[in-house]
Amino acid sequence: MNGAEVILEDVSKFYGEVLGVNRVSLHIPPGITSLVGPNGSGKTTLMNLMAGLIHPDRGSIRVRGISPRDPERLMRITGYATQYDAAPRSMTGFEFISSLLALHGHSRSRSAQLAVQALERVGLSDAAHRKVAGYSKGMRQRVRLAQAIAHDPEVLILDEPLNGLDPLVRAETIEMFRGEAARGRHVILSSHVLQEVDIISDQVILIANGMIAAEGEIRSVREEMHEHPSQFLVRAREASRVASLLFLQDHVTEVRLSEDRQGLLVLTRSREAFSQALASIALDGYGIESVAPVDENVDALYKYLIGGEPS
Amino acid sequence: MTPLRLRQALTLAWLEARRAFLSRRSFWVYLLALFPAFVFFMHGISVKIQRDRLSSRGVISAALMDSVRESETEAAVIARLGKPVNDFAFDRRAKQDRALVRRVNYFDGSRILVLTFANGVLESKRVRTLVNLEEDRAVFAMVFQNFYLRLAVFFGCLGIFVNLFRGKMMDKTLHFWLLAPMRREVLLGGKYLAGLLAASLIFGLGALLSFRLMLWEKPPAELALFWQQHGPAHAFAYTAAAVLACVGYGSVFLATGLLLRNPIIPAAVLLLWEGANPFLPSMLQKLSVIYYVQALCPVAPPPDPNMPAIMQFLFSPANPPSRLLAVTGLLLVTALVLWLAARAVRKIEINYSTD
Ligand SMILES: Nc1ncnc2c1ncn2[C@@H]1O[C@H](COP(=O)(O)OP(=O)(O)O)[C@@H](O)[C@H]1O
Ligand SMILES: [Mg+2]
Repeated sequence: MNGAEVILEDVSKFYGEVLGVNRVSLHIPPGITSLVGPNGSGKTTLMNLMAGLIHPDRGSIRVRGISPRDPERLMRITGYATQYDAAPRSMTGFEFISSLLALHGHSRSRSAQLAVQALERVGLSDAAHRKVAGYSKGMRQRVRLAQAIAHDPEVLILDEPLNGLDPLVRAETIEMFRGEAARGRHVILSSHVLQEVDIISDQVILIANGMIAAEGEIRSVREEMHEHPSQFLVRAREASRVASLLFLQDHVTEVRLSEDRQGLLVLTRSREAFSQALASIALDGYGIESVAPVDENVDALYKYLIGGEPS
Repeated sequence: MTPLRLRQALTLAWLEARRAFLSRRSFWVYLLALFPAFVFFMHGISVKIQRDRLSSRGVISAALMDSVRESETEAAVIARLGKPVNDFAFDRRAKQDRALVRRVNYFDGSRILVLTFANGVLESKRVRTLVNLEEDRAVFAMVFQNFYLRLAVFFGCLGIFVNLFRGKMMDKTLHFWLLAPMRREVLLGGKYLAGLLAASLIFGLGALLSFRLMLWEKPPAELALFWQQHGPAHAFAYTAAAVLACVGYGSVFLATGLLLRNPIIPAAVLLLWEGANPFLPSMLQKLSVIYYVQALCPVAPPPDPNMPAIMQFLFSPANPPSRLLAVTGLLLVTALVLWLAARAVRKIEINYSTD
């Protein structure tokens, strides 16, 4: 099975004096794996190491048997959507994706065809021929996702891929991750919000201060978390209508409307049921703008797992 | 190199070169490349204006112009040659001598005859050409070596080539290239080709254009002869020198952008190194770009007569190598620098946050 895993053995990376990650060992099987940790905990460092954008000071890395020091082979099977919000602004989304595909050795027409497909999969077909400079944050997020999936890689590495996506696109994106995982691929993503990813992940790796805080035990922790109500902040144009619809759900224990009547604080016993309910409400309109878990539960989890404040 | 790698390098070169040509940052590179052309263009314009002004006042035949003899009288000359294009008179007082001096000019289309009469008798006769091909070629040689090669191409390549890695790190787009399934050396090669394509087109054409404009408004006969003899070879040599300067400086600045965080200081050091080239021991002279490129220039510029004595003493340009050796030497220096760059590019890391 080794040849099909992403393996890190005792990997450390320092930026001068600053610790990036320290002595990380991981065996990541195919499926959806989430790296979860607060900002500065080393998620991006780990992903950059896997993709060969930086190199470890010690330890070794194999991505399905390939060393990240061999980009010629590694990047054929790997797609990486970085956190860096800087697609070349003078290009259109289509030009950006297709020019990178051309570097894979595809012909012009094949590159164009694959670029169109990738942009369609992330829902950017309409904006494909507009300059990236004019894209919204969420669109730039998606164009980077398109760049990562365009060559149909076996290993997808996605740094905070759900950040800045509206609920509908987020649901579609998660659906895509599930599809990739079902095909036996690696989907490795990161988030600083546990609730955002824990339901969709086959495996969650908690990282703090450059070290793996927990892995594998997460399921039991998750069960425990399930018994406590989780809180979400929802912002919607027709917040009061959404509130009444949500309140009909039996997993929702409390709904509070904010003063500007555009925000909702929702307490639910089941995050899974909640996100499904919200997704179906979103499909019917009501102008849902954002959903964010209220972070205190993550903090509580960190305290529980790490025995201290997340730094 | 497998065909795929070659194709990757060429694809990358094309993508990057397009950006180098069109980027707003390249604007001043074009300015540098076109500056000599602009100077010679303005020179041509001024010659043209002068000629038109003289012609409008009357042109005489060359034979007539040459017919003026010493000791002819003012009245006879004016009667024979007609109304001069310029004409002025003044009183000259020197010791006891007092004379009424009249100075007149005639123009035969390319030469200006300057006649000075004192008290009605021809005193002196000079002929000067409106334009002087030899002189302008020497000026061109000087501008080309001292400005074009040492400054324009130098700073143009600095702008273009440092930007290929350093600039992409700054605007946080370098990682997209690193995410392509390419060997890092192929990436380096593609980027170098891109820079070379942009720089040699801009500076090669700039050299050719300024050479052409230097020859503009020159007497047709002299020009025809020049084109029959040296013209094409010189045009080629200047263009080749500009392109080879791009080859050399390009590799140096590509490596600089890869190896060093801040390119300003190494650029200043290099500028000094290249500028001080003729003062260096001859071994070290060979470790530069200008030493080889200079040897390809067809006309040696006159040495600076204002150079202080101490510098003249130190000034010891090594014997210029032959053309073939110059090209080989330059390519060797370039290969050495690119080899260093290839070692560096294998270790390259994305490091955006600390910039
Ligand atoms: N290029 C860099 N130079 C110096 N320190 C860095 C660099 N990149 C990351 N770090 C440091 O490494 C640690 C981990 O950062 P990072 O991997 O970006 O965390 P995350 O993605 O989880 O927010 C942080 O302390 C950060 O400040
Ligand atoms: Mg990060």
